[in-house]
Amino acid sequence: MAGVGVGCTTAILTIVQAWLLSFSVADVFATHTVATVPMAAAGLAAVFAAKGLLAWANQWLANRTSAAVKSQLRMDVLRARVSRPVDPDANTGGLITLVTQGLDALDGYYAKYLPQLLLAATVPLIIGVAILTSDLLSAVIVAFCLPLIPVFMALVGWTTEARTKRRWRTQTRLANHFADLVLGLPTLQVFGRAKAQAAGLRKSEDANRRETMGTLRISFLSALVLELLATLSVAVVAVTIGFRVLAGGVDLRTALFVLILAPEAFLPVRQVGVHFHDSQDGIAAADAAFQLIDGPAGAESAAGAASADGVVASAPSDRSRRAFRLELAGLGHSYAGGEPVLQGLDLAIAPGEIVALTGPSGGGKTTALNAVMGFIAPTEGQVLVDGRPLAERDLTEWRTHVAWVGQNPGMISGTVADNVRLGYPHATELACREALDTAGGVDIPLAQSVGDDGEGVSAGERRRIAMARALLRITMGRAKLLLLDEPTAGLDADSEATLLKGLRQLGTSALVVSHRPAVIAEADRVVEVTA
Amino acid sequence: MTDQLTTPAAGASTSSRRPLGRLIGTLFRDVRDAPARLALSLFLSFLATFASVALMGVSAWLLSRAAEHPPVLYLEVAAVLVRALGISRGVFRYLERLVGHDVALRMQGALRLETYDHLARTTLLGSRRGDLLSRVIADVEAIQDLVVRIWIPFAAAALVITATSTGIAMLSPGSAIVLLASAILAGLVVPALAQKASQKADSQAVPLRGELAAATHELARTTADLVAYGADTAALDKLAAIDAQLRQVEERASWVRGIAAASQAFAAGAAVIAALIIGGQQVAEGTLPPVMLAVLVLTPLALHEAMTSLTESAQRYTRAKVALVRVHEVVYAPPVGRGDVPGEAAVVADPSLTLTNVSAGWPGQSPLMTGFNLDIRPGERVALVGPSGVGKTTLAATILGLIPARAGTIDVRGRLGYLAQDAHIFATTIAENVRLGNPRASDEDVNAALARAGLALEPTRMLGELGSAVSGGEARRIALARLFVDDYQVLILDEPSEHLDALTAGVLLDDIWATTTDRPMLVITHDAAVIERCDRSVRLGE
Repeated sequence: MAGVGVGCTTAILTIVQAWLLSFSVADVFATHTVATVPMAAAGLAAVFAAKGLLAWANQWLANRTSAAVKSQLRMDVLRARVSRPVDPDANTGGLITLVTQGLDALDGYYAKYLPQLLLAATVPLIIGVAILTSDLLSAVIVAFCLPLIPVFMALVGWTTEARTKRRWRTQTRLANHFADLVLGLPTLQVFGRAKAQAAGLRKSEDANRRETMGTLRISFLSALVLELLATLSVAVVAVTIGFRVLAGGVDLRTALFVLILAPEAFLPVRQVGVHFHDSQDGIAAADAAFQLIDGPAGAESAAGAASADGVVASAPSDRSRRAFRLELAGLGHSYAGGEPVLQGLDLAIAPGEIVALTGPSGGGKTTALNAVMGFIAPTEGQVLVDGRPLAERDLTEWRTHVAWVGQNPGMISGTVADNVRLGYPHATELACREALDTAGGVDIPLAQSVGDDGEGVSAGERRRIAMARALLRITMGRAKLLLLDEPTAGLDADSEATLLKGLRQLGTSALVVSHRPAVIAEADRVVEVTA
Repeated sequence: MTDQLTTPAAGASTSSRRPLGRLIGTLFRDVRDAPARLALSLFLSFLATFASVALMGVSAWLLSRAAEHPPVLYLEVAAVLVRALGISRGVFRYLERLVGHDVALRMQGALRLETYDHLARTTLLGSRRGDLLSRVIADVEAIQDLVVRIWIPFAAAALVITATSTGIAMLSPGSAIVLLASAILAGLVVPALAQKASQKADSQAVPLRGELAAATHELARTTADLVAYGADTAALDKLAAIDAQLRQVEERASWVRGIAAASQAFAAGAAVIAALIIGGQQVAEGTLPPVMLAVLVLTPLALHEAMTSLTESAQRYTRAKVALVRVHEVVYAPPVGRGDVPGEAAVVADPSLTLTNVSAGWPGQSPLMTGFNLDIRPGERVALVGPSGVGKTTLAATILGLIPARAGTIDVRGRLGYLAQDAHIFATTIAENVRLGNPRASDEDVNAALARAGLALEPTRMLGELGSAVSGGEARRIALARLFVDDYQVLILDEPSEHLDALTAGVLLDDIWATTTDRPMLVITHDAAVIERCDRSVRLGE
């Protein structure tokens, strides 16, 4: 709304400016005296000062809108990611690109395109009326040409759409060749083929340029149409009114007034064209963001977005360690309309009981654990805690009662201690050390640093750190259930068996996915899961 | 991580003129007729802008002259000229954009080749420069911005300002001086000052974006763990804090842009008002023909309108420069090692791998191990174990000949093959991916290699970017097939079970073991199950 206000004011100022200029120039022309110049100069100074301030305000307003939208979308996208912790379609690279550069494309939409669109909707109208009051014919020419611009642009865009799309695809593929080669360089070098690829790269760069130029030749056409129509109409207005001045039908003041205003009527429309590409990028980014926020069709997330009481886990006052009975009733799941990965699993775990899940790879064992964690909402059956469906519980609160170790534990960057402490934020150094020792990580120093993606710790060490994390949640937090998924890398099962033995003394229940005899031997019951 | 990314850029920004100049010089040499192409697009851009300025000037003259009611004949030329200018502006702009983008793409292609050539000559295996690779891919695109959005508009603006001022000077020298001054202010000084002022904001934005990317990466890779342990809210709060900082920085940049836009409006006003006062005085004094007054007053309006987009161009320069200076660092960094492994070795009857008293280490750094001995006979499998960072992959790079041994002798009999844990799968067909191991392999060879690697996939199947269409186990098998498609008689496997689930890893290792019985094999691993399979193990770092 503020944008429309700025646009209307700018248009009115432009009209005043044109009037002052034409009046004064025509007067000097006719009288050969400077009688009106001081008044006009003073008026013009005021007009240009006001226009400057408006330009500033416009810039500031546009940025504010854009920044607010960007922040909102950025956080919504990230919250959406958290609400689907085990999304099989999650693409980390895509998410990072979207959150960083991707959403910046919205600047093009909100800070440039949209304000111009508002100006284009208001300014030509106001200026058109001003021209109309002075000269009907010029107003008719402008009114005729102006609507032709969007019509022709749409026509050009429409007729070239298919070709542009096809070229765009080829071009994207060729453009990515460089990225593919550079990322694959270490692999190429090992086979002694890196330098040999330079020739291929040269070829693909040439082809890429040709394809891109082909696309641009077409996509610049709409800009050409825009510039041609806008400038040519100004020229036609100038020539037409010039000959009417000659014939004595129009005076010089009116003619100059129309000449100054005519390009101003087209300016906002031309700017819309200039920023049209920016807007397309912005719209694409917004689409990508909304897709992530809405999630894959049909895949409902069980996890409510991180709720405010997510800190319950660290509240030391609440140490209730009430044991509970866990039941899986006819549990089944299929991801986004695909084949079911888990079907009809019935299972009850009494307080303090240790149950091992076995079965072939892809049989849905991990999916069962995900359902218990509330990472997914099972498409069939339900998880019951003390007879009450999990879906009715506050999931954040529920998770404080569970200690979970995934297949491929995630590591936050920091130190090993930081990672262990995720299980219980207030744990002392000593408690962390003990937990890590119990989890079989005697030789992992707590101060060892952990880089991006767990760099610096091996898969085996990661597993032990994650188990220590879970252990802290049981011994210091209030977790009464351990969910242990099978590690992805082959590891010795001894430390896991030791861990389970320890759990039994604490009276903690456990649901363990494993094939290892040592682990299975510790279980009270073994349940085979098949899809 | 993020600090490492930004410090060179921040440090280099003060003295970046030379590296940038050197880089551009190289590209001018690489791209045929680059200066001529640039000059052409610059000239076209000048013509396009000048056409719109001239349109206003000539139209103003046409109206004024018409008001003197001369015979129609006197106006015909001007009328034709006005129409021609009306058409030419759009046409020149279209041609300028094509020529400009073409030369920009040529320079981008040259820069990519330059970058690739250099990176191919430096050993990357085990150098932990993955982030550098992905960054350089994005950075080289800045050359396009530099050409199309910075060089051409600024150079064209300078030409238009000169041409217009010269023209006006013939009518009114006083007015021309004001016009020149105001145009230089609006077209060159204001954008330059705005660039300087927002440079600080922009350079603050770079590390913040890095932080945002790093925090997003961590969130995405640890989502399940964070949610499971109730730490998701804290992670989101951290991201929101970075976002707020970034927003502040961007707000500052937009203030600067706003001030610049206002200054440009003031400059335009000054030029128009000065032209009216000076020109009006001249008309009154009789030193300027009255028909020229409108030309004098209206031309500055059109000229200044062409300057408004230059502020944004100047601000782009900051980002483009930072990116290109980083590329420069990559292109002109002294190469490490030799890039490609040395040429093919002959097939031998009894392949073996013998290391005597070897010291290995990254060139320019202290050796990670000294006096290392190893002897692997045909069919023998030796596990190389030791904590992370002890130099297992560095030793592999040394054996492969990618970096020189610091001391001792390495005797490899038979051709060496290396199976990386993160072997890159290229966005092409499976067959082409396998042919990396032997470019001359026939379709039958490829099929046989795939079968031997236990892969039942169609060889003609296209793989998506980064091989996303295959599973981790399949990717590892494609990499393995590269070793089977030619006579790689000595094998080094680097963490063959990493990132695979126990079952998949087990089956894969069974297959490798079954198909490589006669070859000496060095297996880098810390997986107990893999160590168990080997005949013996050698420990590094103790």
